[in-house]
Amino acid sequence: MNIQAYIESGIIETYVLGLASPSESAEFEQLCAQYPELVAARRRFEEGLEKHASTHAVQPPVGVKVKILEAIALNPPKIVTMQNENKKGSSGFTSLLAAACVLLVVGLVWMVYQSRETKAQNAELQRTNVALNERLNSTDSVLKQIIAETSVVKDPNNIVVNMVGTKAAPQSSANVYWDSTSTNVYLVVKNMPVLPNDQQYQLWALIDGKPKDLGVFDATKNKMILKMKNTQKAQAFAITIEKQGGSPSPTLQKMQSMGKTLQTQ
Amino acid sequence: MLALKQRNDQAFSTLYDNYSGALYSIIKQIITDNAELASDVLQEVFINIYRKIDTYDQTKGRLFTWMLNIARNASIDMLRSKSYQNSQKNQELPDNVYKGTANQSTQLNVDNIGLKKVLEKLKPEHRVLVELAYFKGFTHEEIAEMMSIPLGTVKTRIRNALLQLREYLQ
Repeated sequence: MNIQAYIESGIIETYVLGLASPSESAEFEQLCAQYPELVAARRRFEEGLEKHASTHAVQPPVGVKVKILEAIALNPPKIVTMQNENKKGSSGFTSLLAAACVLLVVGLVWMVYQSRETKAQNAELQRTNVALNERLNSTDSVLKQIIAETSVVKDPNNIVVNMVGTKAAPQSSANVYWDSTSTNVYLVVKNMPVLPNDQQYQLWALIDGKPKDLGVFDATKNKMILKMKNTQKAQAFAITIEKQGGSPSPTLQKMQSMGKTLQTQ
Repeated sequence: MLALKQRNDQAFSTLYDNYSGALYSIIKQIITDNAELASDVLQEVFINIYRKIDTYDQTKGRLFTWMLNIARNASIDMLRSKSYQNSQKNQELPDNVYKGTANQSTQLNVDNIGLKKVLEKLKPEHRVLVELAYFKGFTHEEIAEMMSIPLGTVKTRIRNALLQLREYLQ
């Protein structure tokens, strides 16, 4: 590192005037720790700047100082320092009185300070509480979802129908869990493209060659389990893309995926 | 310094007496046309100095440098704030009415104080860049875009300008 060239590069002025980027500043501070001559050059510029600023000072309006001191007095800092000054010449009684006053004031300040602290802590705790509750709720709903899913998947009565993509949508896949005794139908979306807002997927059961509407769904959440309409019979399930809210009969050229059950006619 | 960090009011009062003029000067060089807002900023700056004195790190520079940067940042924040923009709108009318003389005299005042006076000695293409970066608070990237010159050129020109500035300050 050619420190002299670095010093002459203008980086000192850039840094001191607050125009350096964070990475330039970090580098500069690191080099300052290594090169005393860099620190000395920085100091020279800082001194020149300070001197120049002092000679060109502009007297601020008179009231400003008072306002600042008032603002500070109203908002005391966290450190309470006690000056231990014993003034000679005061009588025993006055000093006792003064001591009592000081104690009173210190006590009051302490109480105000404590109550502020407590308030701040209280607010902080409340915030944490709300945040934790929110997390609990969301975790709860995810857990419920998982439990529901597991119970469907593990139910021995359920027939799993693997729906595979058609030529129109080779990627699309979903599983239908169908309980032919309770007639419940569940759908698990594995991979279905997200549709525009005015369209929805619709699930159909094919019974004796005729489609039966089993309800519409969005594919916004993958791997979520959806409860569809019940059906007692089905030789196959199919998914089509329909307008928002579904259609009375399927648009077959928009069939996305299909899967056959083992049930025969 | 220790007295300041312990928030000794007397030390703080002395600090104000010694530096308020220099800091007010820099604030007025940034907020050029509204003395009331400039003194509001000065007030805010000293309250911030009082509150943040614990974060001042002596190894990174002189106390004045630290305070100067607080003053500059606060002024630029004010320049970009809603209340400042509004005050500008309100002033538009009188400005138009007294077009000419009034404007010229304030312009003259501003250019004659502090660092801006030193800037006058720089080449115009350098001066503009320092003006935008230091007194208006634009980043180097913003300036490069604004003036359609490469970022590298902005950086070198500003650095060269500041180097010259150093010579004038010494």
